[in-house]
Amino acid sequence: MKRKFKYIFTGLVLLGMLISCIEDQDFNQFDDLSITPTIESSIIYVESPERIINLVPGLDIFSASFNFDAFNEAYFAERVLEGSITYELENTTSKELDILFEFVDEEGNSLDSEQFIVTPEPTAILQREVFYGGATGRSLDIIINTSTIRVSVANLGDNTSISSLPDPKITLKSSAKFRIRIK
Amino acid sequence: MSKGKLLLLCFLFGCHFLHAQNKELLYDFTEIPQSLMLNPGMEVNYLWYAGIPTLSGISTQFGTSGVTVHDLFADDGVDFTTKVLDKVIYSMNPNDELSGGFQMEIFNGGFRGTNNPDNFYSFGMYLEGDAIAYWFKDLAILGFEGNADQLNRRFDLSHIKTRGELVNVFHFGINKRVDNKLTIGARAKIYSSLVNFNSTANTGYFVTTEGQNNFLANTLDADLAVRTSGIQELLDGDADETPGIIAKRMLFGGNLGLGLDAGLTYNLNKKTVVTVSVLDLGFIYHTKDIKSYELNGNATVEGIEFILPEVLINPSTDFWQDLVDEIEELVPFEDNDKNYISFRPTKLYGSIRHNFGERIPSRLDCDCMDIITDQNLAFQYVNSAGIQLYAINRPRGPQVALTAFYQRRFGNFLALKTTYTIDKYSFSNVGFGFNIQAGAMNFYAMADNLLAYKNIADTHYASFQLGLNIISWGKK
Repeated sequence: MKRKFKYIFTGLVLLGMLISCIEDQDFNQFDDLSITPTIESSIIYVESPERIINLVPGLDIFSASFNFDAFNEAYFAERVLEGSITYELENTTSKELDILFEFVDEEGNSLDSEQFIVTPEPTAILQREVFYGGATGRSLDIIINTSTIRVSVANLGDNTSISSLPDPKITLKSSAKFRIRIK
Repeated sequence: MSKGKLLLLCFLFGCHFLHAQNKELLYDFTEIPQSLMLNPGMEVNYLWYAGIPTLSGISTQFGTSGVTVHDLFADDGVDFTTKVLDKVIYSMNPNDELSGGFQMEIFNGGFRGTNNPDNFYSFGMYLEGDAIAYWFKDLAILGFEGNADQLNRRFDLSHIKTRGELVNVFHFGINKRVDNKLTIGARAKIYSSLVNFNSTANTGYFVTTEGQNNFLANTLDADLAVRTSGIQELLDGDADETPGIIAKRMLFGGNLGLGLDAGLTYNLNKKTVVTVSVLDLGFIYHTKDIKSYELNGNATVEGIEFILPEVLINPSTDFWQDLVDEIEELVPFEDNDKNYISFRPTKLYGSIRHNFGERIPSRLDCDCMDIITDQNLAFQYVNSAGIQLYAINRPRGPQVALTAFYQRRFGNFLALKTTYTIDKYSFSNVGFGFNIQAGAMNFYAMADNLLAYKNIADTHYASFQLGLNIISWGKK
């Protein structure tokens, strides 16, 4: 009986070994996996109605610095590959305005800036996309070292005129779109 | 990371690649005592049996309803990222899963009642692991592609669905032959959970839309929860203490629960038999070593907003920190140690079997061939064929499998069973099992999805079960 048991078991194991096989697998391929999503989000929105601009005497309406740690968060800064920042300005006031958008590092140094001169109403919406990284873009160091964004608005017109458009104001929209390497 | 922690993580991760627990080859294989674990109402003709400790019942299954190892890792020269995108990210859907289980009997035995020989009692203890993870398609796409150029696309957070556990089970069952036609049985179970995790009732979405003020608005609407028990102590503790902790939890020191199996066998006529059983109708109440995490709320972000003249009220405000704080307040991520209940993955089996061919001489302590009558129906035949149905309760609803089987017996020494199973994993699942009875020694082994063995790496499903028992039918 024991001999029968042994023969049958051995036979089945051999049969299993004969019919089973595995094609070549290359598990090192996992190292080649590339995960590079592109993330997109708004950054800063600035809005000032014309009546406030008229209240401020002189050239400079305001200059505000915003702590902005999204870019120098380690997870982002270590993985960012390339991307762009898009700005959109709309001026429905009666004044010509000078808007300066600056990227500032922790020491207060201005790393990069974008200047917009917008004419009084009626004016078209001004849109600009600035690229960072890649072959032609500005240095990514600007982005990853930015800890503050400074927005300055200067009034190149007067403090008395009032736009003929309803709800006159200056608005600045901005968004960032960056590709990062997760793997 | 210590070896103990690494092993635990490997186990938890490995469970994700194990398959659900259909044991179609073992079910209603009445020569094997472990069939009683699948149907407490099985027809039993032993006087007693004793499983060889830790060897009486070992089973493991693994598989995937989506991608296979070969799909991804075949040495075919195709870029790996392309394969992942084509065969995983875009091809698999939220109902695809990686799931599975294993079971190892620590001890198992059974005996016929002396006062009432129609009753058969069985008892034992086994360790069982079970886990399932559904494919989180939307989150995977979000991870691979990001949210850019995906305006108004809702990434569904309910795609996160997973559960798993490692549980030790003590059981005691009674099997009763009511008459020549009907055998019923039930089994009480006490669960001692070692490890449990589940995240099954998630809802919500992430969407990027056009902003009201700024270009874009990112919205997170989340009601997510992950509940765990038994994990923290293992992760935080000393690796040397792990065996002691596990042993303690196995012996009623874990989170406890109760369960019930029930089943019956009914002979429609002398050659046709139907069986039904329900397994693991039970729950575990988790009160120890609990760590649960919740993310619940709704927030829409358009970046920092600097609107005059409102901001002049407090010009020194840290707008970035305010934004971060606001999001954390609107969508708080919290942990807690609240008790919770987890339900066992209940399984249902049913079968109809037709016996044909010659009758097999009985092993019972009688010359039963002489007393076979039409009323004495519970006899084995050389051949059996039939259909089995299996269903298991899963987080996305029941999973069903349908099996056709043929069983051939060669005297009382050898029995073979082959199955063909259709389920969500495969339409070509052919299984084979055998049972050898060498005197009192009983040995069985069975394997599933044999056609896939021509390239195991390309299989969606593979399993095996084996065991060693001693069986007695009494003195001849």
